[in-house]
Amino acid sequence: MSKAVSALAGAKASVLVAIEERGLQGMITLRGDFASAAFKKAVKSVLGVDLPGQRAVAVAGEKAVAWMSPDELLVMVPHEEADAVVEALSGALKSEHHLAVNVSDARAVFRLSGKDALVREVIAKVAPVDMAGFGPGQIRRTRISQVAGAFWQPEAGVLDLVCFRSVAQYVFDLLKVSAMEGSEVGHLG
Amino acid sequence: MLTLTCPYCGVSGEETEFHAGGEAHLKRFISGSTDAEFDEYMFLRENPKGVHFERWRHVYGCGKWFHAARDTNTLEVFGTYSAQVSEPPKEIKDKISAKRPGWSWRNFK
Amino acid sequence: MTGGFQPYDALMSLFREFAALPVAFDWAEKDSKTTRGHPRQRRGIRPDMKRYSAFAIAREALRHHTGWERAWRSPEPKKKYDAIIVGAGGHGLATAYYLGKNYGIKNVAILEKGWLGGGNTGRNTTIIRSNYLQDPSAAIYEKARSLYETMSQDLNYNVMFSPRGVMMLAQTQHEIRGYKRTAHANKLQGVATEFISPQRVKELVPIINIDGPRYPVLGALWQPRGGTARHDAVAWGYARACSAMGMDVIQQCEVTGVRTEGGKVIGVDTTKGAIDCDKLGLVVAGHSGVLAEKAGFRLPIESLALQALVSEPIKPCMNVVVMANTVHGYMSQSDKGEMVIGGGTDGFNNYTQRGSFHHIEETVRALNETFPIISRLKMLRQWGGIVDMTGDRSPLLSKTPVEGIFVNCGWGTGGFKAIPGSGWAMAELMAKGHSPLTDEFSMFRFREGRFIDESVAAGVAH
Ligand SMILES: Cc1cc2nc3c(=O)[nH]c(=O)nc-3n(C[C@H](O)[C@H](O)[C@H](O)COP(=O)(O)OP(=O)(O)OC[C@H]3O[C@@H](n4cnc5c(N)ncnc54)[C@H](O)[C@@H]3O)c2cc1C
Ligand SMILES: [Zn+2]
Repeated sequence: MSKAVSALAGAKASVLVAIEERGLQGMITLRGDFASAAFKKAVKSVLGVDLPGQRAVAVAGEKAVAWMSPDELLVMVPHEEADAVVEALSGALKSEHHLAVNVSDARAVFRLSGKDALVREVIAKVAPVDMAGFGPGQIRRTRISQVAGAFWQPEAGVLDLVCFRSVAQYVFDLLKVSAMEGSEVGHLG
Repeated sequence: MLTLTCPYCGVSGEETEFHAGGEAHLKRFISGSTDAEFDEYMFLRENPKGVHFERWRHVYGCGKWFHAARDTNTLEVFGTYSAQVSEPPKEIKDKISAKRPGWSWRNFK
Repeated sequence: MTGGFQPYDALMSLFREFAALPVAFDWAEKDSKTTRGHPRQRRGIRPDMKRYSAFAIAREALRHHTGWERAWRSPEPKKKYDAIIVGAGGHGLATAYYLGKNYGIKNVAILEKGWLGGGNTGRNTTIIRSNYLQDPSAAIYEKARSLYETMSQDLNYNVMFSPRGVMMLAQTQHEIRGYKRTAHANKLQGVATEFISPQRVKELVPIINIDGPRYPVLGALWQPRGGTARHDAVAWGYARACSAMGMDVIQQCEVTGVRTEGGKVIGVDTTKGAIDCDKLGLVVAGHSGVLAEKAGFRLPIESLALQALVSEPIKPCMNVVVMANTVHGYMSQSDKGEMVIGGGTDGFNNYTQRGSFHHIEETVRALNETFPIISRLKMLRQWGGIVDMTGDRSPLLSKTPVEGIFVNCGWGTGGFKAIPGSGWAMAELMAKGHSPLTDEFSMFRFREGRFIDESVAAGVAH
């Protein structure tokens, strides 16, 4: 098999906050009936976390599970484990109507880090989201200027943002502009 | 600018996160229907200045279709509700009645 | 002619501003009997209306401008008219004007709920062109364009028609094919247009960036006799001419109900009382659906806000109109020097006459790519109008299910250019019950599968 590379080969920028393309990240789209006991059990047994609540992210070590819609989860695992996790999920959900797909290489992930208020401000400038009410534990799917994206905060001062791989350069450039030196607004503290 | 709340993911977002899908609660008339029914279904749309019901999709969010009850003149949103119904739920109708007494839309009142 | 500061252009625009002043002198003979056959009477203008001219400016300057009279009367409604037109926008006024001028029907009232020309007619970006695709469209839009050529003389009112040329950029292969097809169709229809090269585009518009970044300019559909006109002046000129023919232009008179008897119209209810009529023309653009409902029928129309904006004034830099469908924006420069900019409609039905804020951002972003020089321009003001959209992007000029009621609407984002042709055709329809120009634009065409599909020609709201 050919060697996987991430969209921007780990591009970095240090502006108001540090921006970094995170490299390879395993990602699985998992869809099914959240109300079903078998589905909940499969998530718990394969990923080690309880099904997250509405717009929440559940983290267990290197794995994380994010609520994307009432019937869709985004599962994050180390890149090289993604295929195996898909297989495990498919096995555990054999008798359930479901969908588990490895989408890792269709995506790009960026990490913003720095002063928490500034990290959230950089996003506030490019997404129609009230970042005053946003913090660790939540995920938000939304519009990142002209493209679709989602983000969450693993902890204060850090924000991970995922978008489609085809628009990775656009998003990286956009974040750089949004975090340009001297462009602080300061409305988040 | 219009602010809508997606009933599926609970997000209150402005209109650029959503996509308008046109008139709500249409009944499909295709083969076997009369010309008049087909004409109405295919080409005529409610276009009120006031209370209106529409389909919307949370395109940049959870991706789900839902329904919205809205005033086309003020952009006030009376409420949003599930896509899986063929008429507005009673609580939405009651909310509209409280604010726009005597309203009607198609055969809903 | 190239861009940059052109003393000649500046002089011309000064001249146009001057000439746009409503000027008058009164050498008109007062007795209409003695003026039989007088050219002005042949034009249908009442002989006692004071004419505007350069001579009158000079005379009025000498007497401290005390001799100007109101351009139109402000009468109270009569009990009954032969015909009532609802809506004193361009289309309503032009309809009334040609009812009088071409058919001698002068016992006419034009009822306007706000002020005349305060709807889309006073809110549009004034692009005039006739290079549509389908034959019925070419016929009515070219009729209109040709009437614009002589409108100032016909109305004795300077509408500042400026046939500076209009181009629609092709920025994808699809657009090249689409516009070449239109150019061929226009050739057959006798409408003068051509498909031009990117180099020619650059010659005509030196400030344009034809190299992308995202959508390089691959050519354009060019109509040299397209252009712009002063929108308010079109409404005012028609209002003055209608008033001079003895018609009543009644402002602040909202039609609140339509009265019918045995399937036939007998009158309207208004905020100034009930008024009877034999014939009723509904010409209310975005409010067509609302009025049709009062008259008891439905129209295949949806209403949406469409916006425009202008920049601060700058020196003359672009003397043609440029429309860019793919990036979705268009721009021209007014005689005052403002860059006049428009883009897309809201995505959902509304009557806000304001429009969503993000469309301004999208439009300006799109035009920045095509015209990098505007990136530092300040935008001065923005406004919206409620446009009446049909499924095939073509208008409705039609009889209705109620006898005696006619509609002229559905012009959507692009009806300013059509005003005189539409008035001409609608008047014929109302007077004779039939017009070759309106035949295809029946409101029943959808049911009959006879669409006049202009979604390509009307690609970017114009
Ligand atoms: C932002 C914008 C840009 C545009 N740009 C262009 C362009 O570049 N080129 C082009 O060709 N077209 C353009 N258009 C479209 C063009 O403006 C319209 O198609 C045209 O002006 C419609 O004229 P009208 O007379 O039908 O309507 P209007 O001018 O809107 O007149 C209708 C009138 O009816 C009145 N009315 C409504 N209800 C009632 C009632 N119940 N009783 C009495 N009166 C009533 C309204 O107050 C209004 O004055 C644009 C439109 C907009 C909004
Ligand atoms: Zn949602």
